[in-house]
This record gives sequence, C-alpha cells and structure tokens, in this order.
Amino acid sequence: MRYLMFVVADPTGEKSELDVEEWVTTHDSQGVRLDGERLRPVEDATTVRVRGGEVIVTDGPFTESKEWIAGYDLLECDSLEEAVAVALQHPMAQEGAIEVRECWPLDLAEFPETRAAR
Amino acid sequence: MKYFMFVVDDPTAEPYVREQDTIADWVEEMTTRGISVDGDRLRPAADAKTVRIRGGKPLVTDGPFTEAKEMIAGFDILECADLDEAIEVASKHPMARFGRIELRPFWPFE
Repeated sequence: MRYLMFVVADPTGEKSELDVEEWVTTHDSQGVRLDGERLRPVEDATTVRVRGGEVIVTDGPFTESKEWIAGYDLLECDSLEEAVAVALQHPMAQEGAIEVRECWPLDLAEFPETRAAR
Repeated sequence: MKYFMFVVDDPTAEPYVREQDTIADWVEEMTTRGISVDGDRLRPAADAKTVRIRGGKPLVTDGPFTEAKEMIAGFDILECADLDEAIEVASKHPMARFGRIELRPFWPFE
C-alpha cells in the first residue's frame, strides 16, 4: 500500500538531533521510501481554478495557514501504523509536523467521459 | 522542471458532475505526453494521521495538519517545460473546475 507523507513546516516545532539524509538512506534501502522531494516555499505556489469556463490563475497556495507543506515523501508500507512509525523517525516530526495519507487509486474505467470516447 | 500538483476539494467550486469528470482523459493525455509521472487519489483527510514529536514524546492525532474548508484529495507529479505548461496541464484537470489546483516547483537539496 502506498502512503503519502506531507512534510509540514510548523512554527511550534523544536530542534531535532536526527539527520534527514540518514532517514532517506535507511528507508530507501529498505524499499519503504519510493520517492520524495523538498518543495519551493508557498510564496512560489500558483493556484489554478476554472470557473464559468474561465481559467483563473493566482499566486499563492490553495489555503493560508501558519503551517505549510514543505515537501513530500511517498512510502510503501503494509499499514497506516507502519507509515506513522516511519514518519515519527523523520526529523521534521519534531521540527514541524508530518501528515500521513493512504493512497486511494481511482478506477479510471468507471469514468463515463472516457467510456463514451472508446 | 518538476512540479508537485495538489488536487484540492473546494466547497466554493462548481458542483461535481460525474458525467463531466474528464479525469480518465486527463490521465491518458498527460501520461502519453510524459507530463504526469506519478499521482494518486488520497483517502479523505478525516482518515489522515498527523504526527509530531514534542518534548521528546510522540503525538499522533487523527486528521490533517491543518483544518481548512479546502482539503487535499490527490496529487500528481508533473514534468513540465515551464510554469506556463504546468498551468495549462492543471487547467485541463477536472478538479480545476470542481475544486482547485496548487502547483509548487520542486526544490531539490544541493
């Protein structure tokens, strides 16, 4: 099962003694971490909406909050509990926060538009 | 350039119409063009766990890291020539209409 970790900058964070490179190396070698990257700050975000057929492009993130997503990691784990345990070993669990979400693949064959096109 | 695309539920968006949900077409086009290199829907934010360590103690809470009326419903990782192409790709995603999309450039560590 795939899990997505949002690595969150949180002003209530504390200094961590852990090393992020060690976390990456360990979980890459165990096949638990599939991918991941740091993201540019929210000031560099672009939000895109379509309303009444018009494309609306605005600077900034989809929502404003004092915590913000600074990166992500994709994990392969047997359970949410395992993904939570992996997240707790990341230095940003102490320096910020980490949200863990289970992936939930869509069955694209169910979508009528594409069925009609075939 | 790589972009992380947040696919977001937005209660102020146009009402969802399943018959007009072109997600399968979008995935087919963006996969063929080599633009969407990964992506998935995510279980609802209510099923999220947020973890923190404070004062040496692990704190695991139910739900997302922040409460907002907009909620992240999925993601895609895009490989685009530039921001203009990423905006074109995002604007074609059905959730640009039924929700909203945030694009964020990758920022690899040196």
